[in-house]
Order: sequence, then C-alpha cells, then structure tokens
Amino acid sequence: MATPVIMPRQGQSVESCIIAEWNKKKGDKVEIGDVLFSYETDKASFEETAKVGGTLLEIFFEEGDDVPCLLNVCVIGDEGEDVSAFRPEGAEAAEAVEEKPAETVAAPVVTATVTATAGSEMKISPRAKNLAERSCANLNLVEATGPNGRVIERDIEKLIAEGKCTTYAAQGADAVSGTGIGGRVSTADLASAPAAVVAPVDNGLDYEEVKHSNIRKVIAKSMHNSLSNMAQLTFNTTFDATAILNYRKLLKAQGEAYGMDKVTINDMILFAVSRVLMNNPEFNAHYYDDKMLLFKNVHLGVATDTERGLMVPTIFNANKMSLKEISNQAKSVCGMCRNGACSPDLLKGGTFTVSNLGSMGVESFTPIINPPQVAILGVCATTTRVREVNGEIKTYPAMGLSLTFDHRALDGAPVARFLKELVVALENFSMVLGA
Amino acid sequence: MPKSQFLDPKECRKSGMIHFEDIPVNQYNKTIEEESKIYTKADFMRIYRDMAIIREFETMLYSIKTTSSYNGVDYNNPGPAHLSTGQEASAVGQAYILDKDDFIFGSHRSHGEILAKGLSCIEKLDDKELYTIMEEFFDGAILKVIEDEKLSVKELAIEFLIYGALAEIFARTTGFNRGLGGSMHAFFTPFGIYPNNAIVGGSGTIALGAALYKKVNEKKGLVICNIGDASLGCGPVWEAMNMSVMDQFHQLWDEAHSGGLPLIFNIFDNMYGMGGQTIGETMGYNMPARIGAGIAPNQMHAERVDGYNPLAVIDAMRRKKELIDKKEGPVLLDVLTYRVTGHSPSDASSYRTPEEIEAWVNEDVLKSFSAKLIDAKIATKEEFDAIHADVTALITRACKLAVDESVSPRMDLKANPKMLEDLMFSNGKIAKMEDRACDVLMPKEENPRVKQIAKKERYAFDANGKPVSKNKVYQLRDGIFEAILDKFYEDPTLVAYGEDNRDWGGAFAVYRGLTEAIPYHRFFNSPISEAAIVGSAVGYAMCGGRAIVELMYCDFLGRAGDEVFNQLAKWQSMSAGILKMPVVLRISVGSKYGAQHSQDWSSMIAHIPGLKCVFPTTPYDAKGLMNTALNGTDPVIFFESQRIYDVGEQFVKEGVPEGSYEIPFGEPDVKKVGTDVTILTIGATLYRALDAAKILEEKYGISAEVIDARSIVPFNYDKVIESVKKTGRIVLASDACARGSILNDIAQNISEVCFDDLDAPVCVVGARNWITPCYELDADFFPQADWIIDTIHEKIMPIPGYTPNGNFTDGEKLRRAKLGV
Repeated sequence: MATPVIMPRQGQSVESCIIAEWNKKKGDKVEIGDVLFSYETDKASFEETAKVGGTLLEIFFEEGDDVPCLLNVCVIGDEGEDVSAFRPEGAEAAEAVEEKPAETVAAPVVTATVTATAGSEMKISPRAKNLAERSCANLNLVEATGPNGRVIERDIEKLIAEGKCTTYAAQGADAVSGTGIGGRVSTADLASAPAAVVAPVDNGLDYEEVKHSNIRKVIAKSMHNSLSNMAQLTFNTTFDATAILNYRKLLKAQGEAYGMDKVTINDMILFAVSRVLMNNPEFNAHYYDDKMLLFKNVHLGVATDTERGLMVPTIFNANKMSLKEISNQAKSVCGMCRNGACSPDLLKGGTFTVSNLGSMGVESFTPIINPPQVAILGVCATTTRVREVNGEIKTYPAMGLSLTFDHRALDGAPVARFLKELVVALENFSMVLGA
Repeated sequence: MPKSQFLDPKECRKSGMIHFEDIPVNQYNKTIEEESKIYTKADFMRIYRDMAIIREFETMLYSIKTTSSYNGVDYNNPGPAHLSTGQEASAVGQAYILDKDDFIFGSHRSHGEILAKGLSCIEKLDDKELYTIMEEFFDGAILKVIEDEKLSVKELAIEFLIYGALAEIFARTTGFNRGLGGSMHAFFTPFGIYPNNAIVGGSGTIALGAALYKKVNEKKGLVICNIGDASLGCGPVWEAMNMSVMDQFHQLWDEAHSGGLPLIFNIFDNMYGMGGQTIGETMGYNMPARIGAGIAPNQMHAERVDGYNPLAVIDAMRRKKELIDKKEGPVLLDVLTYRVTGHSPSDASSYRTPEEIEAWVNEDVLKSFSAKLIDAKIATKEEFDAIHADVTALITRACKLAVDESVSPRMDLKANPKMLEDLMFSNGKIAKMEDRACDVLMPKEENPRVKQIAKKERYAFDANGKPVSKNKVYQLRDGIFEAILDKFYEDPTLVAYGEDNRDWGGAFAVYRGLTEAIPYHRFFNSPISEAAIVGSAVGYAMCGGRAIVELMYCDFLGRAGDEVFNQLAKWQSMSAGILKMPVVLRISVGSKYGAQHSQDWSSMIAHIPGLKCVFPTTPYDAKGLMNTALNGTDPVIFFESQRIYDVGEQFVKEGVPEGSYEIPFGEPDVKKVGTDVTILTIGATLYRALDAAKILEEKYGISAEVIDARSIVPFNYDKVIESVKKTGRIVLASDACARGSILNDIAQNISEVCFDDLDAPVCVVGARNWITPCYELDADFFPQADWIIDTIHEKIMPIPGYTPNGNFTDGEKLRRAKLGV
C-alpha cells in the first residue's frame, strides 16, 4: 500500500521547511529507518527517516524547495502503484510559498503542557503522557519504543530513571487548563488558550536547542579553518567619506536618467576595491602552502547577511565592470542569496572579499578571511570626526575600514600601503571613476 | 432408550400395516331444541353476549385503526391490531367450559380468546375471589380506574377485563402488562390467560411446557395451545406436538405421573397465514385435523369442528376434556373459522375476492346463532338488540378510559427509566419454587456418583504441589453435578431434560448418577428437538416451576433461536414482572468436532436483552455459579466448555467446598496477579492465557495479571478497571470468532472508562473468522498462548528479543476485514 511521507511540522511556529538534501532518489529501495531527506527550518535542520519500507515511488519537491508543513513530500510503496492521489496541490508551485514573519504564524498547535515542543506529530499513549506530566519528564528526550513509534509508559520510566525531568515551574508557563471530562485538555481548550501563553515556545527548558543547519555547518567549518590555519591580523583606518557621500547624493538626486540612482556606498567601495586591486595583484590572490595564485581579474566576494546565515556570492570580473554594472550585479547576487535561490556556482571563485557592517554601526571589526583568499576588507560605520584645517576645527564624515590579511602571504608594510592607496582612491572617488 | 425396553428384531421386522381411524369433520348436528336440555336460556344468551362483546371490541379497534375514532372517542393507535372478527364463536365455544385453572396460550390474533376466557372465568368465579383478584392485581391499579359502586362484582369484573385488555393494547401502564406486551401479547394469568405470542407458532412449545408443569406437579386444569393453521408450517410446532406424545409418558413414567399430557393443540383454522392460503396454496394437508394421524397412533384424537357454531365447539371441548381427564391427551382440535377483517387493518385483501368475504359474512356467527334462538322461540330480536346496546356502551366506556392520559398514562421512561430497567430481570432468590417434598429415588448419600466424588481430591494439586491424576481429581463436571443434585433434593418443581440426559448421563457425563437418583417425571430424555426443549422450559417456568435444560452443543443454538431469543429472554419484562423465568439453559461449547460442533456463541446470547450469561472455567466457579443460577428467578445461559470438563480446581487452595455456596453473577475473578499487562478471558481460553502469562514472566520478565470474566451478563467492570489502572495494558481473549465477539464490546467499554490509564489500545484476540477446521488444526484457528504474546508485542509493547509467530499487525487485520475473513 502506497504511503505518503509528509513534511513534518517541527515546532509550533513552523509553517514550512526547506528540503536541504535528498538522500534517496525516485525509484530507490528504502527500508524503515533510512534517511529520506534532510530539511531545514529557520532554526534547525532535521532528517526524515522512512517509517515504512518499499520503493520511493515519487518525489514531489526538490532540494531547496520550501514545502508547507504536512504536505506530502514523497511516496513510498510497491513498484507500479499509483501515487497521483498523494500529489499535493501546488507541488510545482511550492517555491512560491513565502516565508511569513513570525508575528503572523497561524494558531499554534500546542498539545498539552509536556508535549509542546514534542509537537502534534508525537505519538504517545495516554498513560505515558500522564506519567510524563506527573513526573515532569522531558519528552524532547524520549525515545519511543512502542508500536508504530508510539511513546509508551516504559519510555517515560526510562527518562525518569535517567533523571531527564524538568520542574513544575518550568512546565507551568504554558499550561493549558482542560475543560474536557475529567479535566482533559481538549482541542477546544487549545484553540482558546490565550496567545500570550502560547507565543513563546516553552519546552520546559531554560534554553532552546537549535540544530545546525547545513549552511551553519559550512560556515563553522570554513571560519574555524580560516582562523586556525592562517596568520590573520587586521589593520584599521578611516577615510574622509565626503567625496563618496556627495557622489551618492548626486546619484540619488539626478542619477535616475542613467540608472544610477540605486547605486550604494557599498557599490562604490566595491568599485574602488576592484580598481585598486588591479594595482596590487598580491592582494587579489589565493594562498597555498607552496604558491600563490595571483589573479588577473578581480572576482569580488560580497559578504551577505541572509536568513539562513552568512553567504558570500561572487561578482566575477568586477575589474571590467562599470560602477553601474557592479551595483546591478551586487544587487542581483545578494538578492538571490537572500531568496535562497543562489546558484552554488556563484558562491565560489572569489579572489577578494568585502564585508560591510557599516550600516549596523560597527566602527571596527576583524573580518575573517575566506580561504584561500589572502585578505578581506571590512567596511565600517561612518562617524563624524574633527580635524584641524588651517587652524580651524572642522568636522568630516569618517568611514572606517578594517583590512584583515594573511601574514603568511603579505607583510605589514605592503598592506599599509595598499590600505593607503584605497583610502586615497575613495577620498578622490572621481579619480578612480575614470580609471 | 432405557435398558428395560428391548428392540426385538423379530418384532421390528414383521410384516403388517399401519391403520388409521376416520377423522371426524364437522360432525356436530344437534338442534337448539336438543341442546336446550343442556343449556338454559341464560346460558344461550351469555354465549351470544360474549360473542357480541368480542365483535364490538374488534369493531371498535378496526374503527380506531382506520378512522381514528369510535363512537365519539377520538384516538390514534399506531400499534398493531390483528383482529379476529368472524372468529368469535370459536373463541367463546372453547372458553365456555374452561375455568381459571385451565391455561390458554395464544397467538398474535388472540383478543377474542382473551375476552372469551376472561368472561368464562368471571362467570365461574365467586364474587369474593373475583374481587380479590382485581384488588391484588398491580395493587388495584386497574380496579381503581373502573371502580363503580353501582356495578355488581361480576359487572365490575367485565369492565375490568375489557379495560385491562384495551389499555394493554393501547400501551398504558394500567394495561394487564403495563403496556409492555401490547395487542399481540396481552394476557392475564389470574384468569388462566397465559401469553399470546407474536411469533407464529411460538405458543406451541411453551404450551407443551405448561402441560408438563401441570403433569409433573400434579396441578389441576388443562392447557390449550391456540395456534393458527399457518403455524403448522413452523418446525417448533411440530417439535412440540412430537414431544407432547412421547411414549415415555405411558411406558416409563411412574404410576402417579404416567399418561398423556393435559394439552389441546387447538388450531384456529381461518385458512390464511397473513395472505397465504393454507388450503390450496401453502400447505398440503387439506385440513389440519389430518396431521394428528401422523403424530401418534391415537391420532391425537384429532377432529375438525365447525367453529362458526359455538355449540359445536363447546360440544367438542367437552369431549376432548374428558379424554384429557382420562390421561389420553394430548388432543388436536381443528376449529374451522374465518376472519372477515384483514390480517391487519392495512390488509387490502388482495389475495381473496369480495364474494368470498361476502359469503362468510352471510354465515355470520352472531346472526346465525341469534336467528336459531329466535326460531326456537328462546329469545326475541329485541333481547339481542338490548345486548348489543349494552355491549356498545361497555366498549365505549372502556375505550374512553383507555385513551384518557389522566387515568391511563403511559410509562414515563424519560422521568423514570428504571421502570423498564427494573423489569429486565426479576433478580429473585427463591430456593424452592414450592414447599413440598421432592420426588427422588434414593437418599442423596447413597447415590453412586456422590460416593465416587467423595473419594476425589477437591484441589488439583497434592501436598507436594504435584497435580492429582485426572481420575482422582474433583472435576468441573462434578461441580455442576453437585449443585444440580442438591437442588433436585431441595426444589420439588425442578426438572431437567434434554438430549441423552438420562441413562447416558449427559453426553459429557455431567449427569452421571442422576438417573439413579431422580424419577422420570423430573429427569428425562427429550427428542432431538432443541426448540421444544427450550420452549417447553419457558412454559414450565412461567407456570411456576424451575427447569434446567440443555443444548448438547452450542452450535445447536440456532435450532432454538426463537425460543432463546424471543421467548426465554423476553417474557419476564413483557409481562411487566408478573412472570418469573427460573430456567437454566446449559450450553456446551464443543471441541474436536469440526465446524458445526465447536463454536462459542456466547456473544449472541450477550446481545439479547433479558438473558443472564455465565461461562465458568473452574470446578469451584462452576458449582458456585450453578448454585446462583438455580437459586435465582431469571433465565441463565450457562456455558460450559468440553475442553475443560475434566479440569481440577487450581485456584482455590481449600478445594471445592462440599456444601452449597454461591458465586454472585457479574463478578470477574483474578486468577493470577500481575503488574505489567492484564489478560481478560472468557471461557476455556483462560488456561491458554495462563500459559502465555507463564512464558511472559519466565522468558521476558513481563508480569501478566489474568482475569477470568466468569460472567458475561451481568458484568461488573470494577476489578478489570482496577487491574487496567495498575497495568495500563489489556488483552481480551476468547474462543469466539473475533468479529462481533462480546470481547469487542467489553474492550470498547474499557477504552472509554480507562482511556487516560491506557498505555496502548485495548486489544482483542479471538478465533479466526473462518469455519472451525479439524481438531488437528486447532492451533491455527483458536487463540493460543503465542497469539496473546504476539498481540502484546505488536500492539502494546514490543518485547525485546521476541519474534512473533503470527501476523497481528494492523495491516493484516484490515486486509482480513476487507475480505470478510
């Protein structure tokens, strides 16, 4: 008998999940317990295992698809069985499902107190549930040994024996009072439970456990690798941003005719960097133990903050692009990352990276190099500084720059010179514009 | 057959002929002048009056049914009314010579018989007796409605009779059976009017039992089984006639009790069964009187009488009563009659012509009888007109009262549901139905079986805990025997019968020893007639006796289906508690004998309201529950299993007590204490459940509590609930086929009541939904220890290290259900 596999609802506020990876493909034999696919929520990633054995008859969603919870994802059964009945409506259009902000989540599916995070998918016998309630056993840690994956009494007894319990007080926060016969919590009680009680996910713990998403795992590995394998240090400086700010004002006011009105400060920095790098090929390079690769073109990595985490898409051949082209390309690739639609090809091949935290007020930081690159430029906030000009104290907008470099590849003085050249270029932006 | 009777091949093989006597047909030919020597004018006029009362009663009902109005009284009666207009002479003629000690049993069309018999009794009873009956019946509830100081007691009694019957038909609490019987079941035992029966031929076996009661207990009076010609198509009627003429009454019963039964099979031959014409269409006997010749050498003294002439019927009744008084019964009387109205008021008479009805109307019993009396100058037309005026006034008064809610209310079951609830069982405790000496053949102590049992070990294990051998251990069959033997020496009315009860000692040796102890009239072999066995017990008990009857195999229950389901179960409550039904029906569940001899149908019994049902599995329980059954006043279906007749008592360490003790019905018994899972069984499955418990404990460290249901109806859940609260898990098992098993009902109730305590669904293990295969394949069909463990493993808690032998998965269950197997 063909059995559909649904996208589980992991936690009460989750509307949909992204399929991270398919471990099986259509036509594969699967056995109970085999991982079918991994999937991610905004907070965590999970693996879905097969509850029945058979053949993976059909897959309705691909990797990267955002699938509404409880929709059929795939079907397991015997070869030749018809699966059309299980095809979810709008399977093809699944990508169009938009993530909704947390404020608008639908009525939460809270079960009785102890199963809040265990979720409505948990099968648990009434007796086990009652025992868990009485003993404050932490259902998040339970291993179901009953038929069909049901949590039964002995599973709770094991939790208790292992001391996996929480306090009444911790549980009490989102207790729903039952109005059913014998005080049972009925679905009606849950529906009428006040939102304030329900909104915070209280699993009875003072922390929330969030599994690493695949992207987080990648970032962690990459960052740790970077710091542990390189000799990184950071030089900080500032430059007078009057020129680029004025230019930005100009574009905003009059650039529309040339399609330049959306050009940002960061675009200008990218542009300046692309030009300065062409004069300093040892910065536009990859470092290996036995050699350096000095690139002939500038492929700029643009660190991008996304819902999934840090992503760094690449603007290839930035040195050949006009400011407008760089601006457009930057918007395009960053947008793709934010939408989760970025091709993996765009996430590699960078020769130098720019990371901009200026809009969030960071005055200086130590960006971490994206190996095997040799340097990364951090763009910081603009602050008002004073300086003496002809005996007078004048204010000017000073924008910070933090350049981290790999001392294995580069020495301090050349880096200082490179930074100085970049400052000059930015302070005299019209000069590089013509370059 | 007893050894005293010799089947001589020389005699049996002799050549010869069977001879028949002529069967009289409408031979009555006396004139009014001749009859005037017997009847006074008052007698003639009373005969006419009684017929006129019946006619007007039926006319009133017809009018109410078809026009919702009678003589200015408006009423809508949704209930049935099978009228006997046209049949008045046959009823009045029959009742004329009967008194309260003569019992009549009727059919769905018996208004006329009730009224005729009642009027005849009223005529014969003296005022004091009559008034006492009215005063005591339902504490005078009916009398209060019709009480009128201006009326004489006899007049009052007639008002009482008409009103009580009509209020019953209109389902009023002031009816003869508080409205619980209705038109087809109305009766009034103080006048010897016993239940009428809505099942065609239903009275056949019951009247036989009543006649047995009169004979065995030497009671006055005769019994009349009023059935229609169409009932001769019903097997139980033939069974009853056949059993009523058993040779043993003449050849084997002791002198005080020998001779024929005081029973008249009175066939009101109106020549139709609903619309099916028994003569010319659905039967071949031509006249029912003929069949007497096929039943017994005396042809049951069969005779056809003209039921359109009351004097002809009275004449026949006088002659038949003489035969019965000479112990030459039973008698078969074929009383020709015709109903002018339809089977019921909705009958369009599509099966007969208006000319036919017209022709019979021209022969009308009232008109022709009054015409004869006028011709003979015994009475004038004015006198008959006056009778009609009186009768119409009488019926109108009764009708007015019976439709009046203020004096004739219906049961208010919303306000007081216990009114009917309390009538489902009488729950009496009566050690003996009569207080007199018991007819027995020897002192109890001298009984060979009693002596043999005295040498047996009453506990299954010796001092060292070793099992006592089968031959030395007190067995389950001994427990049943002891209880029954004790009761035979206590209740003089107790009778036991069934197939091979005497001499053989019961097919499974439960009754061994009874043959020596109990005379024939209390303990005898019946023909292989399950309907007659059970139906006669119903009649025996409703007259005041106590009976134990037996179905040798549960599989034969279908043969007694109506008698168990519609008669035994219902008469206590349909009589509003007037009748008691102290009948124990022993039913033995077979094994080893294949598809038609191995079925546990206790679930069917449990489904029918009004029956108590027990299924003991140990000698201690068997004796205690049998004692309770025999001391009670309710019908008890006592299930036994042929698998375990020889088990010793393994649970009560003191052994089975020698004295009498009772085990209350409805109380399950914990046979083994445990903590992890409960197993509740019905019947012999208990022992396989105990095996399962042993394996669970010894091999898997799981402690099972095993409970024997013992009773099915009633059933007290307390102990089971207590157990489930403790263990959180329960499996129910019995040898009944799983589909429709009463276990599912019990499981459902446990699920509801114990929901919050359950760690897994309540699981039922029954036999497969197949025919029972041969004994060698028992383990594939009936629940085994490993079926129970498999179920626990699959559905309740997977047992580490256990590999199931069978397939007890949900998928398999649904697959089988889909296929109906």
